[in-house]
Amino acid sequence: MLKIKNLKAGIEEVQILKGINLEVNSGEVHAIMGPNGSGKSTLSSVIAGKEDYEVGNGSVDFLGENLLDMDPEERAHKGVFLSFQYPIEIPGISVSNFIKTSLTEKRKALGQDPLPVKDLLKMMREKMELLSIKKGYLSRNMNEGFSGGEKKRNEIFQMAMLEPKLSILDETDSGLDIDALRIVANGVNKLRTKDNATILITHYQRLLEHIVPDFVHVLHDGKIIKSGGKELALELEEKGYDWITKK
Amino acid sequence: MGLIDNLAKYAQHQNLSKDKRVVFDSFIKKGFPTNSDEEWKYTSLKKIVKSEYNLFPEFSEIDNSIINKYSLGIKDKIVFVDGNLVFSPEIKGVQITGFSDFDCRNNDAISELNSALAKSGFTIIIEKDIVVENPIEILFFNFTKNSFSQYRNRIIIGENSEVKIVENIQDLSKSSTLVNHFTHVSCNKNTKVEYNKIQNNTQESKLIDCMNIFQNQDSVCEVNTLIFGGGFIRNNLNFEQNGSNCESNMNGISLLDANQFADNHTFVDHKTAHCRSNEMYKGIYLEDSRGVFNGKIMVRQDAQKIDAFQANNNLLLSDNSTIDSKPQLEIYADDVKCSHGCTIGQLDEEALFYMRSRGIGISEAKAVLTYAFASEVIESLSIPELKNLSQKLLAHKLNVNLDFSL
Repeated sequence: MLKIKNLKAGIEEVQILKGINLEVNSGEVHAIMGPNGSGKSTLSSVIAGKEDYEVGNGSVDFLGENLLDMDPEERAHKGVFLSFQYPIEIPGISVSNFIKTSLTEKRKALGQDPLPVKDLLKMMREKMELLSIKKGYLSRNMNEGFSGGEKKRNEIFQMAMLEPKLSILDETDSGLDIDALRIVANGVNKLRTKDNATILITHYQRLLEHIVPDFVHVLHDGKIIKSGGKELALELEEKGYDWITKK
Repeated sequence: MGLIDNLAKYAQHQNLSKDKRVVFDSFIKKGFPTNSDEEWKYTSLKKIVKSEYNLFPEFSEIDNSIINKYSLGIKDKIVFVDGNLVFSPEIKGVQITGFSDFDCRNNDAISELNSALAKSGFTIIIEKDIVVENPIEILFFNFTKNSFSQYRNRIIIGENSEVKIVENIQDLSKSSTLVNHFTHVSCNKNTKVEYNKIQNNTQESKLIDCMNIFQNQDSVCEVNTLIFGGGFIRNNLNFEQNGSNCESNMNGISLLDANQFADNHTFVDHKTAHCRSNEMYKGIYLEDSRGVFNGKIMVRQDAQKIDAFQANNNLLLSDNSTIDSKPQLEIYADDVKCSHGCTIGQLDEEALFYMRSRGIGISEAKAVLTYAFASEVIESLSIPELKNLSQKLLAHKLNVNLDFSL
């Protein structure tokens, strides 16, 4: 589904990604771990299409197309979703209005008619239940005054509504207490199918107890320096990153 | 011949009463205000008063389809065509008639001109203890080419009564026109009034609007000014509180493009204790458009325990748009709560990326954020048809096909 080859990117003169190679197939869950400043969030922003980054070498192929040629909205239409580390507050727009607009615009781009309001509300209710989201939530302003946990839950709610093919969850576990973590992880697990894929970006092994990855990659200084199975995460938790980075 | 000479010549043939002659002479002596007048510092009438206008309306017939096109679809309508009252509804406890003369205390030149020469307008008198259930819509249509129209309107709301009104002045002459609109509202004890103005006109139309509202105790009055277009708009909105426990609310939206111009001047005169005022004006400026906001709050010495709030927030969406914003507080009482704030900014890039990453295209994302900015005012509109129209006009002006409801 996603093939990243020798990807290099940075901001202005500073090179952050120094040659990333990564292949993600349908049905897989990949975890990318690494110390602060290793380039984890840059990688997710570049895949989602944030324009602040200058992409130098390398290619990102998504379902046979060059992702780097597309605008952020086009990437979303093709099925890429980024759950933000710091979701943005948008006062004045309700959660329901925001989600309705993104869903309608995505459907429009794919040549589909907007969902009838009745169906849309039904779908929202189902997905809310999945994430144990309470009623009055839809009419609240987008992320405004939300707790850290509510913001992250809102990200996963949008993911559930937009049904992406590739979801990148950037530090989704940060700011979550144990109960919220369990609910969010449970939601992500239920949304997994053999046709979609997930990339988890995280500092800690904690999230991986709830969402079990097929592959774990260690990112350090802009490069993936080690890949392995889920047991790699446990090893990292035990020994820290120094063990690999100092080799 | 400039407008002032044209008016002087016109007045000679009008057989003005002695009182009117005095008022008119005062206008002639003052002349139209210029930029050296503090209240007109950022707003120039220079070009406007140099133009040629036709002071004599040419009455035309109006087709129902045109009324329906501009109406909100509200049942009770008052319709003026070229200054002629052609339609007014029958509502229990409400008397609606055409122009009836009255004095007022405004002594600025433009109000004096209106006072001396206006011959058209509406008079609405609501008896006491009447809750007017459906909103009343007032439509002014103009078809006379290059007309200079003056309307003088009066509204009296009897004790314990309630009413909602929507006003729309629509120029359909496809020419350069000017309207001098003056409305005087008396809110008696314990009344509740909501007055909405839709100002959505062509590039060539110019409007100077003055509204005076006199409030007695326990009255609540709200004025919403919704500007979606016009070559030149100047709104003077004056509230005078003359009894305790009054509340004056003002909300505004200015959404302008091309080289449109709109100026909102508000004045709240807190003369009595235990009253409130709330003011929320949102400006959105595209292309070469320009806005002015001047909000004056006066708290007189005896007006203790006043709670006054004022906000003017502006979005400049192009490099060539401008806003001049001036809050003005004069407080002579010592136990009051007054706050004001003014912001000028652009759309948040981070929020734009967030929305694009959710599949919302860049124009639509900008429109949604702009709507979000204006929503505090739009969502507060109590007449559903008006809220709906505002949402549509905003989407139309921002060139997107989005539905903001839900």
